[in-house]
Amino acid sequence: MNKGYGKQTYPLMNVAGSIPQSKFAGLVAPSYWARLGLSLVFVAVAFLATLSLQHLFPYPFLFLFFGAVMAGAWFGGTAAGLLAVVLSTVLVDYFFVPPVYSFAVNATAESYFAAFVVCALVASWVSSSRKKSAEALSVARDQLELRVLERTEELRKSNMELQEREKALLHSQAELARLSRVMSMGELTISIAHEVNQPLTAVVTHGHACLEWLSAEPPNVSKARQTTERIIRDGTRASEVLGRIRAIFKNEALAKAPLDINRLIEEVTWFVRDEAVNRGIQIRTGLSASLPQITADRVQLQQVILNLVMNGMDALEDNAARKEIVISTRMNDDSDVVVSVEDSGVGFTAESVEKLFEPFFTTKLHGIGLGLSISRSIAEAHAGRLWAEPRSSGGAVFHLSIPIQQQVVDV
Amino acid sequence: MFSANSIVFVVDDDPSVRDALSNLLDSVGLAAQTFGSSEEFLSSSRPEVPSCLVLDAKLPGMSGPEFQEELRRTGIRIPIIFITAHGDVPMTRKVMKAGAIEFLTKPFQKGELLGAIRHGLETDQSRRQEQAVVSELMSRYEKLTSREREVLELVTTGLMNKEIAAKLGLSEITVKIHRRQVMTKMEATSLADLVRMADKVKSQSKS
Repeated sequence: MNKGYGKQTYPLMNVAGSIPQSKFAGLVAPSYWARLGLSLVFVAVAFLATLSLQHLFPYPFLFLFFGAVMAGAWFGGTAAGLLAVVLSTVLVDYFFVPPVYSFAVNATAESYFAAFVVCALVASWVSSSRKKSAEALSVARDQLELRVLERTEELRKSNMELQEREKALLHSQAELARLSRVMSMGELTISIAHEVNQPLTAVVTHGHACLEWLSAEPPNVSKARQTTERIIRDGTRASEVLGRIRAIFKNEALAKAPLDINRLIEEVTWFVRDEAVNRGIQIRTGLSASLPQITADRVQLQQVILNLVMNGMDALEDNAARKEIVISTRMNDDSDVVVSVEDSGVGFTAESVEKLFEPFFTTKLHGIGLGLSISRSIAEAHAGRLWAEPRSSGGAVFHLSIPIQQQVVDV
Repeated sequence: MFSANSIVFVVDDDPSVRDALSNLLDSVGLAAQTFGSSEEFLSSSRPEVPSCLVLDAKLPGMSGPEFQEELRRTGIRIPIIFITAHGDVPMTRKVMKAGAIEFLTKPFQKGELLGAIRHGLETDQSRRQEQAVVSELMSRYEKLTSREREVLELVTTGLMNKEIAAKLGLSEITVKIHRRQVMTKMEATSLADLVRMADKVKSQSKS
């Protein structure tokens, strides 16, 4: 059993390094008297060993006492070391220095004995100071270890805080992006309304003037003709404004990049989440897990899907029964990714389906009817399609399909 | 339909709207003068004839409501008809409270615009007539001597010649002569007429 233990201690000591040593020092430390006693034991051992070995040497064999002094000083400290020196000196003087069994010292042995005392003192001093520095070192190591542990903990904490902060930042960035999008859409709406309204005002006003010129006695045909030309001019201008808006979405260099449409939908639902909650609308998604990436302009597709969802939400306004929007994705013929946005709202008749996509067609009180028209332009710019159909269970469903091999089509 | 020499001012930053308004006004026999900005209007010399202002509420630089305030501050009294592409209630309330004739949303119908313009021109015309009458009376009043003005003051409070004479320390004959002089200079046909004139003069010199 003991042997087995002994075998195991070796690797343990090696692996553990300096730490057990310091713990051992801690164990020895306990009491002042115990340390002095330990010194006594060392000296006694050295004395007995020397006594049994003395007959082998022709001169006083004193070296084992140095070992006792060093051991006493090492384990017991300075006081224990000095005690060992005194004890050793007394014992050596009495038993080993001629004349033996007397405290007297021969003149011939004086220098030898003095050398022993000095050497013992030096050994005690060296040993105890080495011990002190070793202890100081181990304390320093322990403290260092403790500080490393503390620092590691601090770093872990600050790392967690950083992650929290980063998360909060990302959240607010996304919120900002949502707000700026909503605002830019609102601003766009106002500026479109204004830009289109000016030429339309001119058209209507010229129209009234034209009637006046024609109903004069006699009718002022030349003025009426002039006025009609202006009507044509201003009407054309109004349509050019719209063309320009469509062109913004159509011809603007599309920033196409590979994207995951499901991810995009998740972002959109995140954008409108608060709005949906406020209006008591539930948004569900049924996203196909096996969709390939498509190459598209992320912001524009986001606008389209956002527009479809917002339209759906507006359509739900008067339908108190079940307010729900379902966004789903699927593959179609291995060639297109299809996004469908369904709502359980007021819906529309089969006849008005195509009208939906005409500029200025709107069923909303505050809409100007450009959203779907622009959305369809965006779909076409991606070689895709946007269409609508009534939902069998009431409401409407809009489909957006984008080909996955579109880049090949472009080339 | 309108007084022949009246004129409608149009301030709108959109040239096609200006052009259309001027064509419509032309077709109903109204003279129009158009401006692209409120600053342009202010720096122009305008004829002193019955007029009104058709003003776009949304203008670059000084906005419509600001322009209205500026006109009021500088004492240019002209009826204003606001036109706007997207008017909001607070703005409408504000300009109507500040005395605008009408607030129309573009595109407007002929009837509402011309109705408002007619109302504006009539308002301006009667203001101008009233103004002309008052300034004529003022110039007549200026011709009275200080003694005659005292007599006029007392006559219009309803005092008899005898009482006036006592108050001013004059003979009744002298008061009678002054009184006839006042009637002549003010071109009053009766005492009631004179009292009315005196009221107008009084209110004018007060304001």
